[in-house]
Amino acid sequence: MAVSLSDLSPNPAASIGLGRGGGSTAESGLPDFSSESYKDAYSRINAIVIEGEQEAHDNYLSLATLLPDQADELARLARMEMKHKKGFTACAANLGVEADMPFAHAFFAPLRDNFQQGLAEGKLVTCLLIQSILIEAFAIAAYHIYIPVADPFARKITEGVVQDEYTHLNYGQEWLKANLEASRQELEEANRANLPHVRRMLEQVADDAGVLQMDKEDLMADFMTSYQEVLIEIGFTSREIARMATAALLG
Amino acid sequence: MFGLIGHSTSLDAARSKAASLGYPEYAEGDFEMWCVAPPQLVETVTVTSPTGKVIEGAYIDSVFVPEMLSRFKTAKRKVLSAMELAQKNDIAITALGGFTSIIFENLNLLKEQQIRNTKLEWERFTTGNTHTAWVIAQQVVHNAPRLGIDLARAKVAVVGASGDIGSAVCRWLQRQGVGELLLVARRPQPLLDLQAELGSGRVLELNDALAEADVVVWVASLPEGLSIDADLLPRPCLMIDGGYPKNLDSRFAGDGVHVIKGGIVEFWQDLGWQMMEVADMANPRRQLFACFAEAMLLEFEGIHTNFSWGRNNITLANMDRIGEASLRHGFRALALDSVQPGTLVTA
Repeated sequence: MAVSLSDLSPNPAASIGLGRGGGSTAESGLPDFSSESYKDAYSRINAIVIEGEQEAHDNYLSLATLLPDQADELARLARMEMKHKKGFTACAANLGVEADMPFAHAFFAPLRDNFQQGLAEGKLVTCLLIQSILIEAFAIAAYHIYIPVADPFARKITEGVVQDEYTHLNYGQEWLKANLEASRQELEEANRANLPHVRRMLEQVADDAGVLQMDKEDLMADFMTSYQEVLIEIGFTSREIARMATAALLG
Repeated sequence: MFGLIGHSTSLDAARSKAASLGYPEYAEGDFEMWCVAPPQLVETVTVTSPTGKVIEGAYIDSVFVPEMLSRFKTAKRKVLSAMELAQKNDIAITALGGFTSIIFENLNLLKEQQIRNTKLEWERFTTGNTHTAWVIAQQVVHNAPRLGIDLARAKVAVVGASGDIGSAVCRWLQRQGVGELLLVARRPQPLLDLQAELGSGRVLELNDALAEADVVVWVASLPEGLSIDADLLPRPCLMIDGGYPKNLDSRFAGDGVHVIKGGIVEFWQDLGWQMMEVADMANPRRQLFACFAEAMLLEFEGIHTNFSWGRNNITLANMDRIGEASLRHGFRALALDSVQPGTLVTA
């Protein structure tokens, strides 16, 4: 095939996601943060973030019951999540938005239920995969894609949070890496059971995210990148990861 | 360690390559799946120079396919993510191959240094254009005489003359001494600037240049819709197909018109990799893009810097330097006798 170089001329108007949903201010290309459609979408996205940080806090404290010798470190991670929650709550207040918490609570139900079931059965690997890999990678992807289109107040807060979340991703990664051979089967099973929920969560939030100018393909791609990176660190080959990722997430 | 960032020539080719590399899920994946898939470090390779020096390298597939060119955000993400992966693997010098350097340049990705939690270090990357330009210049100088073309009197058309590679080839050929340079490009002003810099050369429309050219160096891609009358060309005529993708052979070769794949080198021994098969090389164990070879050369020479970077920064001194390294480490430019004879196509 032949493609002319002129096919590649940058044309911002054709870029995906720009000027969609809540409308954008002409000069900056950023959404109109004060529009009703923006605030409506934000009430759900922001609630997901607040709920996610709260559940992360609770989950790290729960993990401490399975890893009592690491209780201090897990308590430290949990405290960071509460700090994030406060930051994101302030973001909503700054825009005059009330977070739709019942929506967010339902949004996390499948992963929360699976985490709780794993916890009750003492399945540490399952719990680590859900919280420390899947939810953290999901959060990191969302924050990355959000930062360039966030309002200035939320942008500053989110930039601080995303650095912390890498610490959390790293926590699960290091434990699973050190225990890979014993964990492999449970990890693959838990992945198969939970990754489809992540996909559904992404799809469920795509329209609202679009109003915030967060593109669904970007979200998915960023999640896939973090997910692949952490599994490679744990010790899976890229072929195994392709199988684990695509079968459940994209198949 | 050196790195190469490449991609397949089409989604179909990418799918069958994925199947053969042991990625059946990718092989069955649809276009949307390929758009979100992260880059893959597909293989590592050990390369030995005739000097005895041994280097290690990695091939990163950007999981980009040309069908994504019209999706700017996707194309941009693919290139930056592949660069991020190279840097995270601590690869000292990585060449941007195929469309990836074109995307980098045209979508102005210099503005996009931060990708996720990684700040890209530009000095780890090279477009490889200095070596490509040097190789194309060699292909002109060594093959024209074999067709009975006397370069000292020949007219050499450079199509895409004002681009990074094109302008470097012009400067090199002018120093070498050719009859006349015929300068062709889409936009007039950069051409006039080049002409002023060279102090010679004639600016022409494409068809006017082809009608006079004994040698044609293509460093722009030939648009599908563009019709060119092959009968215009003087005989014999040497064409160096230095654009990407390479598609001149089937359109021009034959009846006194000789086409060489431009900017391709052959290594002195087999490379233990399979990735050049995706690039339709005649001898994929030995042949590779000169831009990729530049990353190898910089690693062999311990030059860990973005040797080729930005637009129109290629100097004759750097071309000479990379050319000497190229010869020392066992590369030679693809020549007329190592290509399949083309078939005459009457368009």
